[in-house]
Amino acid sequence: MSLILISIAYLAYAAFWVRLSLHAVVWLRAARQQAAGPSAAPGKPLHAFAMTLIDLLLFRRLFASNKPLWLGSWAFHTAFFIVILRHLRFFLEPVPDCIVRVQPFGVFAGYLMAFSLAYVIFLRTATKTKYVSYQNYIILGLVFLISATGLLMRNYFPPDLVDVKSFVMGLVAMRPAPLPAGFFFSLHFFFVLLLVPFLPFHLFTAPFVAFEARKREFRLDKVMHDR
Amino acid sequence: MTGNGEKEKAAPDDRSFTKGLSPLQLIEIDACTQCGECLKYCPVQDVTGNPLISPPEKIRVFREFIKATDGLKARLLGPQHIDRKLLEDFTKAVYECTTCGACGQHCTVGIFTQRLWPMLRKEMVRRGLGPIGPQANLPKVIGETGNPYNRLAVERFAPWFPEDVKVSEKAAIAYYAGCTGAYEATPMVRGDVLVLGAIGEPFTMLPAEDEVCCGFPLFITGQHDMLEDLVSRLVAAYRAKGVKTLLCSCPCCVNIMSRDWPLFYKKELPFRIRHITQFVAAAMKSGKLAIKKELRERLIYHDPCYLSRGVGIMEEPRAVLRGIPGAELLEFDRNRLESRCCGAGGAARKIFSENAIEMGRHTIAEAVEKKADKLVLSCPACYAKVNEAMVGYDKQIEIVDIMELLAKMIEAVDSGTP
Ligand code: SF4
Ligand code: SF4
Repeated sequence: MSLILISIAYLAYAAFWVRLSLHAVVWLRAARQQAAGPSAAPGKPLHAFAMTLIDLLLFRRLFASNKPLWLGSWAFHTAFFIVILRHLRFFLEPVPDCIVRVQPFGVFAGYLMAFSLAYVIFLRTATKTKYVSYQNYIILGLVFLISATGLLMRNYFPPDLVDVKSFVMGLVAMRPAPLPAGFFFSLHFFFVLLLVPFLPFHLFTAPFVAFEARKREFRLDKVMHDR
Repeated sequence: MTGNGEKEKAAPDDRSFTKGLSPLQLIEIDACTQCGECLKYCPVQDVTGNPLISPPEKIRVFREFIKATDGLKARLLGPQHIDRKLLEDFTKAVYECTTCGACGQHCTVGIFTQRLWPMLRKEMVRRGLGPIGPQANLPKVIGETGNPYNRLAVERFAPWFPEDVKVSEKAAIAYYAGCTGAYEATPMVRGDVLVLGAIGEPFTMLPAEDEVCCGFPLFITGQHDMLEDLVSRLVAAYRAKGVKTLLCSCPCCVNIMSRDWPLFYKKELPFRIRHITQFVAAAMKSGKLAIKKELRERLIYHDPCYLSRGVGIMEEPRAVLRGIPGAELLEFDRNRLESRCCGAGGAARKIFSENAIEMGRHTIAEAVEKKADKLVLSCPACYAKVNEAMVGYDKQIEIVDIMELLAKMIEAVDSGTP
């Protein structure tokens, strides 16, 4: 079991990078092909950057479109981020002070993540959303399972944290240590491995698109009002 | 959306789906969260209710295409087969869209769809799947007649051009009427010229045979081959007339002129592009044009997608209308950047005519509901289609182009109409 999960872990890790590289090759090829021409007037990049930060931190665009969904989606992404920060304690030695301080919030975020996810799934099914993306539901379901198994471990079936840490650090250092005991840990870990190669790409690309959108908005007034 | 049609031959490498897309557009395709929020704002969704032609579905399917030619399997084993029906359904979906950009305006990520959809169309043209229907004849027709309507150059200005307005041989200001206005929305271009005449600044125009298509119909249907030639001909002709400001009232022309002509011309244009309402609003402000007659009516102004979301012209048309004494200006619920397409955009109004008519009727219905006396438009395609939508519709309202209205106000004073 230990060997299988460790192998899957490296495979999932490799799959993620292969996927990212394939996308990057397409982006870079497009950058090379791009026709040269007069470039658009700069769109106040600093101002746009500051506004993009607000857009991203507060999910402003979603807020403008759908407030109930915004609530769930914002809570989910924020909680997910804090949970990841909390998990960094397994990857870093010594554990940085900021990660130590985040731990209590991390527990709360774990609950918030599961509940907000359930709320988002409920909202999307109950409100007869016009467009249903099954791929999205699979990913959301997977994340829900990850958070549910995480909470089960936190409350009822705690694994040996020292074992968990040496296992994770071993994986990262390419010197795999034995899998910590506990069914729920294996399950939790397995679900995470399933998610890694399929992480939605908007996580990496949406910030860039949001920044470009802001710059475009600032530029719009210049298209016909220049000179 | 899997379909059961014949299989397409494996695409060779140079037939990848990303050739005409910019890095940003490819990143945008990756960035769609598939949230489906944009469907709420899509006019085509309003009238078809078909999520298979929605923005997230188009993006999802296009991702599949990219995967088939650039994914891991394609890299290892060569480009993958793509179901022919899937390709055809996608092509239809991407051409059924009016390219109004409302989805992008409300996109939770900020994808610039008003630009993305035409570029996806271009990709489908490259693969021999687009455009659809008579759109495919556009390059031939424009090549032969200079306009997309297969009309003679002698009919371009003669039927509507006001006799008493003088056009200079050379001038710093030029007026471009545009094909749709000149052939399909003549009260609008006649209004433009009458108002320019009333302002009194000398302006020039190209002879009818030289005022060829601005390229927008080709651009928007993804057929870019002739664009460089058209643009360089037009720019050279205006340059030869010493033009410093090119005026135009058509939002689509104005859009391609200001956004894309520099790219096809490969350098900055030697003149600036202005929408007619910018020029007229400035003339009203400076006192060169004064509207003396009162119009005790409620006017509702519809923002054309390519004028508001496209190039940011939203306040000048309103300033012009507010300059009419007595007129009350109403707003659609969705106005300015958020305006709802009247159905005429994206070169889809003739091919998906029923959709367009129904969208036009949404616009008419809201204007009637708001108790407007006149529905004021500022786009020849909107003008042609919304007028068509009114035929046989139980809700009726007077449709007028903004310059047509202004010209009537000026003419009324000149002719002494009380
Ligand atoms: S551009 Fe307009 S018509 Fe096309 S998908 Fe977007 S909202 Fe719908
Ligand atoms: S709103 Fe934007 S991110 Fe959401 S489905 Fe539409 S295009 Fe995709």
